[in-house]
Amino acid sequence: MTTFLEATTDFVTLSPDDSRRELWRAFETVGLPTTSDEVWRYAPLSSFSLEPYRVNSEPTSRDIPVELRPAVAVAGMVIRTHNGQLTDVTGALTGVSVTSTAAGESRGGQSFAARYHDDAFALMSGALAPHTLDIDVTNQVDVDRPIVIIHDVVSSSTFLNLRVSVGGGSRVNIMEFYVGGADALVVPLSEFFVAANGELRISTFQRLANSAWHVARTTSFLERDARVHQAIVGLGARYNRARNDAEFLGAGASNVLHTTFLGSGDQVHDFRTHQNHRVGRTNSTLLSKGAVAERSRSVYTGLIEIENGARRTDARQTNVNLLLSPDAHADTVPNLDIRENDVVCAHASSVGPLDELQIWYLESRGVPPEDAQRLLVQGFFNEMTVSLPQAVADLVASDVRDVIAKVGV
Amino acid sequence: MSHHLVITDLHVSVGDKEILKGLSLTVSSGEVHVVMGPNGSGKSTLAHALTGRPGYHVTSGSATLDGVELLHIAPWERVRAGLFLALQQPMEVPGVRPSDMLIAAGADPQRVANDIRREAQAVGLPDSILERFVNVDLSGGERKRAEIVQLGVLRPHVAILDEIDSGLDVDALGMVARRLQEATTEWDLGVLAITHFRRLLQELTPDVIHVMSDGRIVTSGGPELVEVLERDGYEPFRQK
Repeated sequence: MTTFLEATTDFVTLSPDDSRRELWRAFETVGLPTTSDEVWRYAPLSSFSLEPYRVNSEPTSRDIPVELRPAVAVAGMVIRTHNGQLTDVTGALTGVSVTSTAAGESRGGQSFAARYHDDAFALMSGALAPHTLDIDVTNQVDVDRPIVIIHDVVSSSTFLNLRVSVGGGSRVNIMEFYVGGADALVVPLSEFFVAANGELRISTFQRLANSAWHVARTTSFLERDARVHQAIVGLGARYNRARNDAEFLGAGASNVLHTTFLGSGDQVHDFRTHQNHRVGRTNSTLLSKGAVAERSRSVYTGLIEIENGARRTDARQTNVNLLLSPDAHADTVPNLDIRENDVVCAHASSVGPLDELQIWYLESRGVPPEDAQRLLVQGFFNEMTVSLPQAVADLVASDVRDVIAKVGV
Repeated sequence: MSHHLVITDLHVSVGDKEILKGLSLTVSSGEVHVVMGPNGSGKSTLAHALTGRPGYHVTSGSATLDGVELLHIAPWERVRAGLFLALQQPMEVPGVRPSDMLIAAGADPQRVANDIRREAQAVGLPDSILERFVNVDLSGGERKRAEIVQLGVLRPHVAILDEIDSGLDVDALGMVARRLQEATTEWDLGVLAITHFRRLLQELTPDVIHVMSDGRIVTSGGPELVEVLERDGYEPFRQK
């Protein structure tokens, strides 16, 4: 039987693409991480091996899940991928083009191998993705209807590269969903380039099967006065890791990042952020908020980096964790690396159970305690979903209700 | 049907300190009772103990509503039995909308939005209160009015109002007082209002004034007692 590594090595060796081979060599050099690496300390790597996964990048089409129909109904364009491969584009939007290009090439001024040199999963994704899904929005276009991207994971392993480029002065709204993924390894690698005064709003809802391993990484590159509003919701996967970085390249750029999760069973939700303020007069606002139930755990590690000379930067990060069971656990590690004096920078974090007095207040209105707790947990997530597109918010709220009912909060 | 809140020889401690030391009173449908007293006399403790706030321990005594012993049932069951507390400092409940809270509290899902609008209008709050999370981003006075909105939707038999007048401007106070006065006839609401100020009583007509001191009711009388308190203060009553 061919092992995962034998199959992937064959795939890369036979590829006509030199960048794949460069990425694969870099992956082999780095090797899979272990929990002795600080950034992987909380991952359940002792139970992780690549060998159970099969290599299969063939697309397998199936119907759009019924729960995604409200999002599809409001979309101006629906893009579908299966096992990381672009399979279908329906609808058309003025100024928007969708193509698939060779994987493993970055527009960020560096090769993938250089940019992600110490990230084994990113290197693997670049080497093994069938191609890069490119969404380009030309200059000065206000895309009036959202783009919906549905990533359907049917195969055992899925490597996916997504690149969104928003032209100067343009605005676009993207809703992205990950579905399927039973027992699968899912490794998306995304880059968002927003040119001067452009705006990208992107909401990503990861609702993979709870047996999946999901290791995702996104990077936003913001030029002068560019805006990225990014929301990440993770409910699925046995191990859900999302690293979301922003690089501020031009003055006036701003990034709002909201991440949220609800853990149950033995899930691990692992969120990493890095806001790199390379120039001044840039803003980042990060809110990470999630709850852990049963035996699940969460990790939040956020770094705000303000480089020397990046004056009048305003950077804030807040991490709030709700413990819904005595066996659940949350770790929060906010970090600041500030090399400039003329900045505003703040971070706050909390870990704790539901507020006893809020429960009493609801009880004092006539709400039974179990309903009070349910309302408060749903309310905890409502605070995050208010900024999501309605079709995503409704689905998140529905999924959260289902999980809460299942775990008996 | 007439409803009766009967409190008998109530003793309540907070931590090791006894605050209520044998308090008794009865409030019946349609009546307005007012509890006045100096700071620290136990007025708010009475309100919190009756509604089961954590940290308030009833050591002896009884409080029944239509014969049901409230002190033996959960806080939410006391409300379902017909007792409602409007808090002195209503809490923010982020993420929870008033309509969802009130439906969970037993309000009719079909009517709750209209009921909230109607009650909000009565106390001068905008319809947008429906869309906001409970008490989030409301001023102190708006929160007090929002408590009266909840009261109007849930229609309890007896309402305890813990300094509902503090933080309200003159116009808002008038609207709140008028709404409460209407409720005493509209559905025979019994009111137990805790207050320091007579201005609430200009449009909410009291039937009985109780003066509290050191955890007990030391005097009860008609509305004329307010004049005595205005003139002489609480000092003569402390000595009783």
